[in-house]
Amino acid sequence: MNNPTRRDFLRCCGLAGLGVALPITRPESTRAAEEDRPYGGPYYAVFNASGGWDTTYLMDPKGINEINRLYKEGDILTHGAHRFAPTEKHKSGGMSNEEFYKEFGSDLLVFNGLDYSVNNHSPGARYMATGKLDSLAYPTFAALVAACQGPTCPLAYLTFGNYSTTGNLVAMARVPYLPSLQRLANADSVEGNPRAPYHDGFALDRIEQALADERKTRTSEPQLPRLERAQSMLYAAQLNSKALQRVTPHLPKDTPKERMSQQAEIALASFKAGVCVSANLTISQFDSHANNDPDQMKLIPEFLAGIAYTIRRAEELGIRDQLVVIVQSEMGRTPTYNKGNGKDHWSVGSIMFLGRGIKGNRVLGETDGGQLTVPFDPVSLAVNRDKGIRVRPEHIHTALRELAGISDHPFSKRFPLGVSPAERLQNFWGEKG
Amino acid sequence: MLRFVLSALILLVVMSTSETRSLGEDPKPCAGPNCFSSADAWFAREVWTKIGSQSCLTCHKAGGDAEKSEFVLRDPRRADESAQAEVRRHNRDAFLKIARQKEGDDSRLLLKVTGKLDHGGQDVLKPNSTGYGILAEFVRRVNAPPGEPAPAAAPPVSGPPFFEGVTMLDDRRLLRRVTLSLAGRLPTADERTTLETKGLSALPTLMDRLLQEDAFYTRLREAFNDIFLTVGYADGAESALSYEHFSTTRHWTQNYDLSHIKDEKERRQAGYKLANDYRAALFGEPMKLVEHIVRNDRPFTEIITADYIMVSPYTARGYGIFDKIKDRFKNIDDPFEYIPVTLPALVGRNKSQNQESPTGNYPHAGLLSTFQYMRRYPTTETNRNRLRARMYMQHFLGVDALELAARVSDAAEATAKYEIPTMQAAECVVCHKTIDPIAGVFQDYYSFEGVFGPRKDGWYKDMFGPGFEGEDLPKDEKWRSLQWLAERTAKDPRFAVAMVEHGYYVLTGRKVLLPPTELDDPLYNARRRAYDEQRREIDRIAAAFTKSNFNFKTVLKEWVLSDFYRADGLATATKDPARLAELNDVGVVRLLAPEQIERKVEAIFGERWGRLTEQLAMLYGGIDSQEVTERATDPSGAMGAIQRTLANDVACNHTLRDFVRPATERKLFPHVEPDTVPGKSPEGDAAIRRTMAHLHELVLGRHDAADSPEIDRTFQLFSGIIEDAKQQKGLDPRESYYCRHKIPEAPNDRDYTIRAWRGVLTYLLRRQEFLYE
Repeated sequence: MNNPTRRDFLRCCGLAGLGVALPITRPESTRAAEEDRPYGGPYYAVFNASGGWDTTYLMDPKGINEINRLYKEGDILTHGAHRFAPTEKHKSGGMSNEEFYKEFGSDLLVFNGLDYSVNNHSPGARYMATGKLDSLAYPTFAALVAACQGPTCPLAYLTFGNYSTTGNLVAMARVPYLPSLQRLANADSVEGNPRAPYHDGFALDRIEQALADERKTRTSEPQLPRLERAQSMLYAAQLNSKALQRVTPHLPKDTPKERMSQQAEIALASFKAGVCVSANLTISQFDSHANNDPDQMKLIPEFLAGIAYTIRRAEELGIRDQLVVIVQSEMGRTPTYNKGNGKDHWSVGSIMFLGRGIKGNRVLGETDGGQLTVPFDPVSLAVNRDKGIRVRPEHIHTALRELAGISDHPFSKRFPLGVSPAERLQNFWGEKG
Repeated sequence: MLRFVLSALILLVVMSTSETRSLGEDPKPCAGPNCFSSADAWFAREVWTKIGSQSCLTCHKAGGDAEKSEFVLRDPRRADESAQAEVRRHNRDAFLKIARQKEGDDSRLLLKVTGKLDHGGQDVLKPNSTGYGILAEFVRRVNAPPGEPAPAAAPPVSGPPFFEGVTMLDDRRLLRRVTLSLAGRLPTADERTTLETKGLSALPTLMDRLLQEDAFYTRLREAFNDIFLTVGYADGAESALSYEHFSTTRHWTQNYDLSHIKDEKERRQAGYKLANDYRAALFGEPMKLVEHIVRNDRPFTEIITADYIMVSPYTARGYGIFDKIKDRFKNIDDPFEYIPVTLPALVGRNKSQNQESPTGNYPHAGLLSTFQYMRRYPTTETNRNRLRARMYMQHFLGVDALELAARVSDAAEATAKYEIPTMQAAECVVCHKTIDPIAGVFQDYYSFEGVFGPRKDGWYKDMFGPGFEGEDLPKDEKWRSLQWLAERTAKDPRFAVAMVEHGYYVLTGRKVLLPPTELDDPLYNARRRAYDEQRREIDRIAAAFTKSNFNFKTVLKEWVLSDFYRADGLATATKDPARLAELNDVGVVRLLAPEQIERKVEAIFGERWGRLTEQLAMLYGGIDSQEVTERATDPSGAMGAIQRTLANDVACNHTLRDFVRPATERKLFPHVEPDTVPGKSPEGDAAIRRTMAHLHELVLGRHDAADSPEIDRTFQLFSGIIEDAKQQKGLDPRESYYCRHKIPEAPNDRDYTIRAWRGVLTYLLRRQEFLYE
C-alpha cells in the first residue's frame, strides 16, 4: 500500500493554485527526495517590539535637544562601528545595550533613519511586516519566505503575535506553549504517548489511504475556489502534522520563565526539527505614552535578552549559522517628552539584522538632531542629503527578499513592492567576511 | 457655458449608445429625466468607482478636510436608497464642473490630482498611472468639441449572471447547516419533513422557531463577542467598575457572608465560586444586551441606543443597586439572570466625580456606554479617546478609520513642520477630522480606567471639536453626548449596512469583501464585480433589515436564503482566471472554531469531546479576545495534529459504547452487530453499507446512496482493515484498553469489526465536511 506523502500534497497544492517553491523543470525523482527531507534552513526569526520602541535608547542614541533624560551626548558608547545608548545603570533585568553589543556587535547590521511613514499602530505594523502600507492582502515577510521555502512544513510559519497576515500563501501556526508540542507531535497516540497508539498501524495506514483517495476524487470534481483551497489546506495540515514528531527531542526539559525565551524555544525546536521556516516573536507594551524611560528601560533589556537567548540556544542546537534575525518595531517615539513623561508615536526609526548572509559591525543610514530621516544613497549606502532617498519598509523588504533568494519566486511577484531598480539597496547585506 | 455643459452631457449620452451593460451596473431598466444613461455608467464605473470614491471622497465631502473647496462630493454610503440617484447626480455634476475648468491650457482637475495648484491632498495620482489616465480621458471627453465624432467605445464588458454555473446546497443540507451553525444541533425529523413538503419557502418559519432556542443565543453572544471583544479587557472583570464610583460595592464578594457554611474548605470554595460567577456575570453583560434585543425582537439599533444595561443579581450588587431592584429577579441567587436596568447617575467619592444628569440617570447608549466597552477600548493621555472613536466607527458604521490615512507620507516631517499637525497637516487631517470629533464626544469618559470622569482641564483645544461628521455637539447635549452620537448613528444608513456585515461575519466567520484598489491588476474588473455583487446583496438585506424595524433575525434569515450562503459548488469546472477571481470568495466553507466543533460533536454523538478548551482551543485557532482577536481561518500543521487527535479520541469514546447499547437505541450503528462481517452474506454487506450511508449523513451531512462510489470507498476501508487484521498474528481479541476501559460490559472484538468501525469513524471525522461548515 502506498501511503500519501508530501509529494501528494504538493500535487494537491498545485491543483489548488497554492503553488510550490520548487522549479518545475527538476526531475520528478529529485523533487520527491527533497520534499521528504526536513527543512534545513535558513531559518528566519523576526523579533517585534510591539507598540513602538524608543530607538534613541538603543541603536540611534542622541543625548541632545532633551531627547533623552537618562544620558547626555557625551555618555554615548561605541563598539566597533556601532554607537549605542548606555543602559547598564538603568536596567532592572534583562540585557543591557553594553552587554548586547559586546556579544553581538560584530555580527550586527543596523539601519537608522528608516522612514516608517505613518505613526499609528495598525498601519505601521502592517507596513513593517509586509513592506506594503496600502494593502491588507500582502503577506508578512515571515509568511512569504515560509511559503516560498517550506510550503510543506507543518509549522512553516509560526507566530506569537503582531501583524501576521499570510496572504493566503501558507497557514499560520500559533503554538503558545511548550508542552503543547509534545501532544501535537504524537497525535495518533493516546495523550501523546507513542507506546499507546489509538489504531493499529495497518488500520491507520488504511485510514490515510482512504483520505488520500477521497482527496483525489475531490480534486477531479469541479469545485468553488474556496472549497478547493480549503480541502487542500486541510489535507496538507493533517498530512504534514506527522512531521511534528521530529520536534520532541529538541524541546528543553525545563520551560524558561521569560516570555520571549518561551517563544524562542518553540521556534528553535521547530527549526531544528525541520518543520518550520520562520517565526514571528513578539513582546508588547512598548507604547510608552506615559513614563517612557522606565517602560523602555524595562522592555528594551527584556527584548535584547530574548534575542540573545535565541541566538545562544541556536548555537547550542547547531543551527546558528542558518539563523537570520530581524529586529524591528512598527514605529519610534517622539524626540520630546509629553506632560506624562511619555513619548508619543514617531514615524522615524531603525531596524537591526544579524545572521546568515549578513555582514555585521555596520551602521547604515542616520537621523539628524531632530530625529528626522537623513536621505540615503541606495548605491553607495552613505547618507546623501541632496540626492538620497527616504528608505522605507518596501526598500528593506525588497532587500530581505533578495537575501532570502525569493525575489523572483512567483509568490513574491504576486505581491510586488514597487521599488524601482534605481532605489534598490545595493549590496545592503555586505559580503560576510 | 450652459450650452457647453449640455454639449458635454449630450456627448456622454451619444457615446453610451454603443456600450453594453457593464458587469457592475444596476440591472434595472432606466428611464426618465432622473435616470442616468449608460454614459453615466462609464462615469460611474471608471471615474467614480476607481477615482472618486477611492481618492477624492475622503476629503472632498461635508466634514472632510476639503469641505470648503469648490469640489464637494456626497458620500453615497450616507444616503438612503431614495436619495441614491440624487447623490450620484450630484457627484457626476461636481466632476463635470471641475473637469471643464482650466488653468492656462491645463486641466485644473488633472493638475490638482497630481499635487499641483496647492492641492491639500497633495499628489493622489501619479501622472503615468492608470487612475490618471482615466481622469485624463474623462476630461478629454467632457471638453471635446460638440461636432467631434464620438470616440471608439470601450470594449463591451459582459458576462453571465454572477451565480450562473454555481450549484446551491439542497434544502436538506441547507437546513443542517443552519441548525448546526445557529443552534448547535441537527435538524429534527419535523423540520426535515416540513422542508421536504413545503420547500425552501418554509425555512424562514422554521428559523423563527430556531431563533428562539437558548442555544442560538449562546452562539449569538459568542459571535458578537468575536466582533466587539468585550470580554477581553484587562485587569479583571471588576475593573470595569471604577474605584471612584463603586469603591464600596465592586468587591462585594469579598465581604459576603458565607458563615452558614461551616466547613472552612467548603466555605473557601464557595467564596471562589461566588467571585468567579460575579466576574463571569460582569463580563457577560454586554453580550446579554445583544441577546435581550434579539430575543425580544427589539430594534437592533438598541445596541447603541438602549437606555439600559443588562444586570444580574450579582452585578447589581457590584453597582450597589441590588436592594432597589431585587424584587424584579426571579431568582436572586442566579448569577446569570439578567434584566434590563437603568443605572442612576454616578456618584463619586467626592463631588467633583459626580455625574451631571438632568434625568438623574446614567445616560446609557447601548453597548457604547457600557463600562466593559470603555475598559476594552481604553484611552491614554495622547490617545485622547481616539481608539474608542475608531472602534465605534468600525463596530457601528462599518468604517475602518485607520485606512482613511493609510498612505505614504512624511508624518515626522509634518509633525515637525506644524504646531498642531492633526489639525493642519493634510495627511493627518484626512483622518483626524473624522476621528477627533467623535473622540471628543467621549470626552466625559476620560478616566484612565476607561469609565466616567471628565478631564480636569476641560477637553483639548488642539483637536477638532466634539461632533459627528461635520455636526458639532451642542453644549446642552454634552452630559448625554454618547446618546446624541447614538441617535445619529441609528439614523445613519451605514449602521444598517454595518449590522448586515456583522450578520455575514456571524454566519461565515469572515468579513465582507473590500473594494479592489489596484487598478492595474488584470483581474480588477473580476474582483470589482465580485465586490459589487456582494455589496448589492448587502444593500438589499440592509433595506429589508431597516424595513423590519431593525430586527436582527431578518438579517440572519435573509443571508441564509441568499445565494452567497447557499452556494455550494460548480456545475462545470472553469479555468478562466477572471471567472475564478469572481468566485474566489463565494461559498461559506468555514473552518469551524473550537466552540463550534465541540457543539457539533455533541450534536452528533450526544456529548462534547470536551478538550477543545483553553490552551488547546487557542492552539486550534481560538481567540482570547485580548491579545488574539481573530480566529484562524485555515488549519496549520498544529491544527492538523489536533484534528487527528480529535478524530481518534471521539471515535474511541463512542464506537464501542454505541455497540453495547440495544440496536434500537444506537445513534451510530443501528443496522449492524459486531459479528456482521463484510463478504459473509449479501444481507450483511447491505446492512454494513446502510450503516455507512447513515454515518455519512450523520457525521458529514452527505446523502450518499448505499451503492455510491463514496460508500464504496468507506466499505473498502472497513473491509480492508478487517482483511489486514486477519493477516496479523497475536492481535488482542478485545478493543484497545483506552477505548474499552470505561465500559465494563465491553464485548470482545474477535472479528476486529468494532475497531474497523472505529477506523471508519476516524476517517469521517477527519474529513472536510465534518471540520468545516
